[in-house]
This record gives sequence, structure tokens and C-alpha cells, in this order.
Amino acid sequence: MVNQTKSRIIEKNRLTKLLDKIARGYHLIAPVRDNNVSFRRVESGTEVTLDYINTVLSPKNAFFPQTETLFRFSRDDNREFGIEPGAETDREQVIFGIRACDARSLRLMDMVFDGQYKDHYYLNRREKTTLIGLACFDYAETCFCPTFGIDPASGDDVDILFSDIGECYLVEAYTEKGAALLDRFAEFFTELRGDEEQLREARKAGLAGMKKLDINAIADKMAPLYEGDYWDSIGIKCLGCGICTYLCPTCHCFDIADISLDEGGERFRCWDSCMFPEFTLMASGENPRPDRKARVQQRFFHKLKYFPDRNGEVACVGCGRCVRYCPVNIDITRIIEDVTTGKAKNE
Amino acid sequence: MKVSSEEVQTRVKKLFEDGNIAHFIGYETGSDSLRVTPSFLKSGKAASRLVWNPLCANNLSKYLLDFKNVEGRVGIIVKGCDSRSVVELLKENQINRDKVFIVGIPCSGIVDREKLLEVLGVSPGDVVAVEDDGDAFLVTLKGGNQRVEKEKVLRGECLVCKYPTPVVYDVLLGEAVSSLPWVGDDYSLIKEQEALSSEEKALYWNREFSQCIRCYACRNICPVCTCPECIFDKKAPRWLNKANDVSENLFYHLVRAFHVAGKCVDCGECERACPMNIPLRSLNKKVEKDLLELFDYTAGIDVEQQPPLTTYQLGDLDEFL
Amino acid sequence: MKLQDTKEVQTEFKPKILAFCCNWCAYAGADLAGVSRFQMPTDVRVIRVMCSGRVPPELIIRALANGLDGVMILGCHPGECHYSEGNYLTRRRSHVLKRLLMYIGIEPERFQLRWVSAAEAAKFTAVVKEITDKITALGPNRWVDKR
Repeated sequence: MVNQTKSRIIEKNRLTKLLDKIARGYHLIAPVRDNNVSFRRVESGTEVTLDYINTVLSPKNAFFPQTETLFRFSRDDNREFGIEPGAETDREQVIFGIRACDARSLRLMDMVFDGQYKDHYYLNRREKTTLIGLACFDYAETCFCPTFGIDPASGDDVDILFSDIGECYLVEAYTEKGAALLDRFAEFFTELRGDEEQLREARKAGLAGMKKLDINAIADKMAPLYEGDYWDSIGIKCLGCGICTYLCPTCHCFDIADISLDEGGERFRCWDSCMFPEFTLMASGENPRPDRKARVQQRFFHKLKYFPDRNGEVACVGCGRCVRYCPVNIDITRIIEDVTTGKAKNE
Repeated sequence: MKVSSEEVQTRVKKLFEDGNIAHFIGYETGSDSLRVTPSFLKSGKAASRLVWNPLCANNLSKYLLDFKNVEGRVGIIVKGCDSRSVVELLKENQINRDKVFIVGIPCSGIVDREKLLEVLGVSPGDVVAVEDDGDAFLVTLKGGNQRVEKEKVLRGECLVCKYPTPVVYDVLLGEAVSSLPWVGDDYSLIKEQEALSSEEKALYWNREFSQCIRCYACRNICPVCTCPECIFDKKAPRWLNKANDVSENLFYHLVRAFHVAGKCVDCGECERACPMNIPLRSLNKKVEKDLLELFDYTAGIDVEQQPPLTTYQLGDLDEFL
Repeated sequence: MKLQDTKEVQTEFKPKILAFCCNWCAYAGADLAGVSRFQMPTDVRVIRVMCSGRVPPELIIRALANGLDGVMILGCHPGECHYSEGNYLTRRRSHVLKRLLMYIGIEPERFQLRWVSAAEAAKFTAVVKEITDKITALGPNRWVDKR
């Protein structure tokens, strides 16, 4: 059903110009191909690539940057301290080309950063960002978003959805913010012709066969696995690197540190990973999770039990990045299957 | 690689039965037909999981470090490059030779998954199997078979490999391979880089290091990165800032290349693990080339050969560029 | 992408150069140069170490990554190391490090290893002058945008 609140078409050959214009008024973040495809700030539409299933790095960097200055401090000649805020966050952002899985991940991140404690660094960026999604009509062997009730061709979690229906894109606004953006750039869009829904349905045939795992009551099924040695066989393979956590759109561990020189410095926060040996390392040297097996176990418990117990949702969106890029092929889909079928208990 | 998975399975089962080993590290099929994952066996019962094929890229010797204090001998499969990292681990007394049973398999090249998919224009779901077929790989697809010339789809380190047959082993499966036909000047890419101007080099590496997300996969997968507390994790003094910044990244990559100098055998795992496709082998290969030219040193072939930076000759080069 | 913007050539560019001087030879030589009132540029900052062999590559790389314009190691002549062998190891290490730095685009002048004995005040002065001139001519270390 074409979203009726505000729907338009844009001819494919006008897309670059539209992105050029958006880039002039906003921070435009879109997929760019260099060593691989990742979301980067672009200044023109020609830098953007749409030839990808999903990017290597998720767009969480746009809301939760890998390194973010929280504030700067300085001392003047009279030894007086001054503090000023860090990175400028007053610019409006547009993210173009976000997939349904990554868009859903932002809702999960909201549960962390907009929950009991408000993280104004994250929220500021979240409020100032318009999300333009790109519908999926194809999938990678590692994709499994239908597991989490995500429709890869829908715009439930974005402001505007672009769907490639052949010669043009169907453009649908899902929120008022989206509709406002469409109005601002109205000159690029044209009215619907009437065949859009049909064309879209035909394209959705490309999604047939997508992996959909059973996660019914997974949090409860995880509980008895806390003791026992199911996680031994996974932990022993794990290298303890940060690929899964850094690429994951819902992982949100961070560290805070200061850099200071004589005349001042800054406090910054940066991504951290529960896979690193410093995770839960205490000042005494004691570490309740001293080895990789314990940390691997913790990671899957967090995603499949602790987070859902606390927030009602499994902390995974099925983007498949961890499966694709893990150098030793630790596969969360296999783990989920082992847990829900009870195979994990018998090992 | 005429060695079949069955041959490996039979051999490993026997090793367990004869009481030769108490553990075994090998490969088993991964998430799809183009992936393998490390397999850890505690008995011969699950030996049928083991596979051997041109997808077995992982250098398993890293895991030998985890078995240092475990009871019983551990068996392991090694290719040529993997065996050379075992030699380096033996050199440093990181592992005890008696505690390891090395099953060597001469390797005729490992497939680069991305290159294969691109050359064939298929997706992983279409591939059923990949086998070694002399100068080509035989790829079984759902819609039929295809022969792909090896040079088009080999991993970068295989294109320059000088040691396809393991240099240390307790048993060798299959026939030794003395040299690989496609290997020419293994430093040609390094020489190309060396010929650029300082400005060009700086721009190139600035760009590459800016891609780095400091996931530390390269360090963690490297079999010769063995420090119990890595310099990059030290807090007092804090050598490396956690911030992701090109100057920190420069420090990380250069220091790591230097720390594995003389140990790196170009197994290529660092580059394979990197999610951002940074050409890490280029840095390590440059150091390898210099060690050869300056000190006539090659890593991983002779357990008795002294690591080059722990020793000296009175006649060492004294002129500085 | 470009490196730090080229500002107008500053005729007053004063480089920041570090010199790790070994206690027994190079530092004594530097001291003698001072006592002898030899004139030399003041851009070189001396850090005393007990032996040139204790200077790890991390220090050099950290200095250059942080934006210093040049780093030097000054030690005893080969055969005269107070600890017998330290400088031989420094020599090997420096060759490898220098080539690696050049490979990623750091000019060879920015990292130097020289032998200076306790009596060679003149040589110390000459080395300082030579390196300061060379690095001033090269300009600031633009490899990393300074924080």
C-alpha cells in the first residue's frame, strides 16, 4: 500500500541533483565506495553509491561517533579554568540510503540513550537528523532481519522511504519531518502515475527466501545456558577483536578519557568493546570475565537475554555484519538456532 | 591439493585412537559454502566435521598459544605459511615442540572469497564447493561447474608464496610442492610503492590509516603477536590513545609492523581479517624485504636462526640514508 | 584528500627536533659543546638516556605521529658502547625503522642516527646545525594534522 500521506516519484536521473541540493543545506551522510562501502559525509551527489546491499560500518557513527569530544578545558594566563562544549552539533543532518535493519537499530539505541538517563549528545543528533531509507529488494546471504519483525521494503523506522521501482524511485514520507523535507525539495519530485504499488510488489519477489529465525522466548531459553560449556566451543574460536561490536548497529559500549596538555585539553568518549581484555577489568587487577569465553558468553547474553529482559526487544536487527566480517566465522544465527531448538543445552 | 577431507578425518581419528593427541585444531564448514571456521576436537568422535579445501585460509597456529597450559598434546593442521609461524613460535619458546603434533598439508593456493564471487559473478548461495584442480579451481555451482584460473582468484599472499610445503611437521599428507608456478618477484608491489614520492606515499597511507577503526583484528589474529599484555593495552604509560584519529592509527600500525619484524611470515591473516580492506600486508612485506636485504634474514624457516633485531654483526651497514 | 593546508612559507619556521643522547658519549659531547661555548641553533631538545639502545621505536614513532618535525638518536661509536652492545642493536633497529618511515611518506631527514663521542663537541655542534638546517628546509611535519 503506497503511503498516502505524502508520496511522490523522482526520476533516477534527478537523484544526483537532489542530493547535491540537500548537501548544500544539511550535513548529508550517504554510502560512499572507497575501500568498501561505508556511510560518510558527502558534499555532492556524485560521491554517493547505491550499488550495495549494506555498508560495512553502520550509520550509528552519525549519532554515536566513534570519537566524540564532550568538552574542552583550558587554563588562561591567570590560571583560570574555562570549559567549552565539544563538537558542534547544531547542523541538521540527512542520512540517505539507510536500510530497514539499521533504521530499526536506532529505535533500540533510543532505549539506551533516551531511557532513564538522557544522553544529550546522542539525542541532539537524533533530533536534528532526517532519515531517508532505501528499500531492499535483494539480500545478502548473511541477512536475517525478518527474524525481528523488520520488513526490508518498508519505511517504518525512517522519515522518507525511497524504493527503486525500475525507471524511477517511489518516494514516501512516513513522518511529518519527512513530509517537510519533501516539500522543501518539491521541485525534484513528480506526481504518482498509479502503477507504483504494482511495480513495488513485483520487486519484492527478490526478497523471497530471506532467513527468518525463531526467537520465540529466546530470553528464557538462554537462562539455563548460563552454566555449562556451550560457550566454550564459541569462545575458544573468538579472537577477542572488536569487529562484531564495532560493526554492530546496536552495540553501544563506550569509554571516556581525557587528553591534557599544559594549556588545556579535552574530554572525549570513544567506542569500546566487551570483547577487549579491559572490559570489566578492575583497578585491583581482578576481572570477573578474564577470558574470551566469558566475554563471548556475556555478549550473547546481553543481546539475547539481558537487553530483552530490560527493554522488551532482542538487541539485534539481523543486519548480518557480524556474521559476514567475523574472521573466524562465529555466527549469531547458528547460536540463535542452537538456543531455540534446545541443541545448545545438549552439547 | 589432492588431499581430501576424508583423508584428514581418518588421520585425525587414528591420532586420537593411538593416544597421540588429546586435542585437535582443524577446519570445519562455516556459515555458507565459501566459509570455513576453526574446529576444536577433544576426541575422534567428531572428526567427521573436519574439512580440507581451498577455502581453509585461517592460520590456526595462533590457537596453539591457548593450549600451552592444557593437559595433553594438541594436534593441528598447517599449510606452508602456518608452519612458518609455528617455527617462529618455537623460536621464542612460546610453545613446546613435544606438546604439538603437526599435520602438514602442502598447499597450492587459497581462494580469496571476494575475488571468486566477483570473477564468477555469483553470490555465495550459488556455490556448492570449491576444489583444487591443478592450475585452476573447480567450482561446483548450483547451475553447473566452472573452472577458474587460480591466478585470478588467489589470496594476495598466495600469489607470492615461496613455501607452499610445511617446513615443520610430524606427518605430511599429500605430496610436497616445491614451488608455485605463478610466483615471480614477490616484492614487485613493494617496489612500486617505494618508487612513489614522499608526498604521494604520505597521502596514500594517510588515507588508508584514516579508514582504520582500531578493531585490533589484525593484532588478535596474528599468530606472532604473543605478548600477554600488549603495548597498546597498557595504561601506565598510555602509549596509544583510544581515540580514533589518524595520528593514533599511524602509531598503532607502524609499531605493530615493527614489533612483528622478523616474525611475520606473510600468512596474510591480518589483511583478511581487516573489515576496512586496509593493505596491511604492504607494511609487513616492506619490513620483510628490508630484513632480507640488510641482514639476509627470512622468518619462519630455521628454528635456530636468531631474530634479526636481537643480534648484530660488527660489519653491519653503518651508512644512514 | 590533502594533508594539512600549506600555509605561506613561514620564513620564521622553527622546527621542533628531539635528540635522544646516550649518557656516556653523546650527552657528554653535548655538554662539552656547551662548556666550550659552541654556537648552534636552539631547536634541538635533548633527552638524556643511559644508552642509545634503550630508545624503542615506539618513542620515535610517537614523536613523529604527534607532529614533531624531527627525531635523532645520538650514541657512542660502534665498539665503544658503555654497555658493550647497545649501539649495535640501535643500529640495526634504526635501519629498519628508517626504511619503514620512508615507506609511509616520512622524509628520511626527519629520523637520524649519529655517533658522537664524549670528546666530539664539534661533531655534536655540526650534527645539530646540519639536521636543523635540513629539517627547516623541509618544512613542518605535515604527515598528521596537528591536534
